[in-house]
Amino acid sequence: MKRLWYFIHEAYTSLRTHRTSTLIGMVTTAFTLISFGIFLLLYHNVHNLLGQVQHTIQVIVYPNNDIESGKLRDLQQGIKADPAVDSLTFISKQDALTEFKEQFPEEVYLLEGLGESPFPASLVLTMAAKTPTTDIIANLVNRLQHHPDIERVRYNRDWIERLTLIIAYMEFGALVVGSILALASITIIAITVQLAFHTRQQEIEILRLIGATSLFISIPYLIEGAILGAAGGGMALGFLRGGFELLTHKTQGLSVFGGFSSVLEFFPLPFSLLLIAGGILLGCLGTLTTIYGSLRFRL
Amino acid sequence: MIQLFHVSKYYDGCLALSDISLRIEKGECVLLTGPSGAGKTTLLKLIFGAEHPDEGQILVQNRNIARLGGSDVPYHRRTMGYVLQDFKLLPQRTVSENVALPLIIRGLSSFESRRKVLEALRAVGMDHKLSTIASVLSAGEQQRVCIARAIVNSPIILLADEPTGNLDPQLTTEIAALFKAINTRGTTVMMATHNRQVVEQLNGRILRLDCGHLVSDQGAYT
Repeated sequence: MKRLWYFIHEAYTSLRTHRTSTLIGMVTTAFTLISFGIFLLLYHNVHNLLGQVQHTIQVIVYPNNDIESGKLRDLQQGIKADPAVDSLTFISKQDALTEFKEQFPEEVYLLEGLGESPFPASLVLTMAAKTPTTDIIANLVNRLQHHPDIERVRYNRDWIERLTLIIAYMEFGALVVGSILALASITIIAITVQLAFHTRQQEIEILRLIGATSLFISIPYLIEGAILGAAGGGMALGFLRGGFELLTHKTQGLSVFGGFSSVLEFFPLPFSLLLIAGGILLGCLGTLTTIYGSLRFRL
Repeated sequence: MIQLFHVSKYYDGCLALSDISLRIEKGECVLLTGPSGAGKTTLLKLIFGAEHPDEGQILVQNRNIARLGGSDVPYHRRTMGYVLQDFKLLPQRTVSENVALPLIIRGLSSFESRRKVLEALRAVGMDHKLSTIASVLSAGEQQRVCIARAIVNSPIILLADEPTGNLDPQLTTEIAALFKAINTRGTTVMMATHNRQVVEQLNGRILRLDCGHLVSDQGAYT
């Protein structure tokens, strides 16, 4: 307990003593996390929108023309049970004919004299919002194509692949931008902690003299880095939240955004906590960089 | 307690200690004397684990210091106290905070820590200045606090490197008396000094170094 108090007291003393560098470290971390957070917020919302668009992707299954009603029921149940499928709608031959007549009333004469409906019956599947990647849909379609009671399956493969590619690019972009910004933050925090290290050389020397391990010496600095990171993360979160609220408030009802602002959403709570945890991690990494780089400590 | 076998140490090729062999028993009071640059501090540093010998072996309480890994050194240091000429106190901390530091490192409870701090400060006559900031103390008082910090862990060995170097004759007598008292209680004391007054007062075994060589080893000072 006394040790813990000592560590916290040391970290607090250092932060108070070096107020300017502490503030610089905090603001830089906040700035880094804000930049990263804006990108993440963009990614989060685009990902959400794409998920909604993907939800509208349809796979159309045409059962064999002469399929018995019992087998058709079994086929429908089998498809519905697939986790990748969100909903299934059966469109009978008659339904297809009615739909055609409604959509193309001027072309109805083309069907005169053909007797019963020339359109095949079909099953229209919509995909579950979280699942539609190219692979999952391709697997489903492949399974269905080999089903003995199905004549053919149709879906817009290009559109799905393009969506998947956009998401993959955004994920890669997030990784690259995040890595660069994280490195910048680590460097700044490392410099801040390094300053604290240099001004406390005598103290470190004394601690070594009386048998302190490198870990014991490092812990207050790790706490200092973590506090810097957490404070920076908190500031970033506050700024992002404020900015987000302002943006949604200002764009609400503006026709130029076409109702886009109504579907925008801020990070969910776990994501927000993750941003602060990210700040703490950056702070600790910055401190470790200093400990290993400047003083060649063995932890 | 402490054994050195043919120990040599070089700094950038320059000889600091040459082929030193000696044995120090528990409870002895050993005074390292000799001119500046004779190797007194180097010898203390080797025993303390702050330096590694280039040749030879050093046994402290049957532990080979020459083979200590970096992570073992702090634990080795906790078994001994070290007093330096320039005090090495944390200037903005109170006397009790400075003395308690080795106990915090060892993870002692607050209650035990307070008891030991008070005991150590009483031993050096500084228990009335528990809450005083170290930087406002006089040189003699600072050295007393430094000694209290060195003995608070009840070390078996107390090393001191010119502990009276910055003190006037009156304070030197007081500090030497403290070391004598600590030694009388059974702690092995090994002190580097070229202060004749201290050597006379402590009346211990005298090891004389010159240019890195052990030139004499005599019992009581005459």
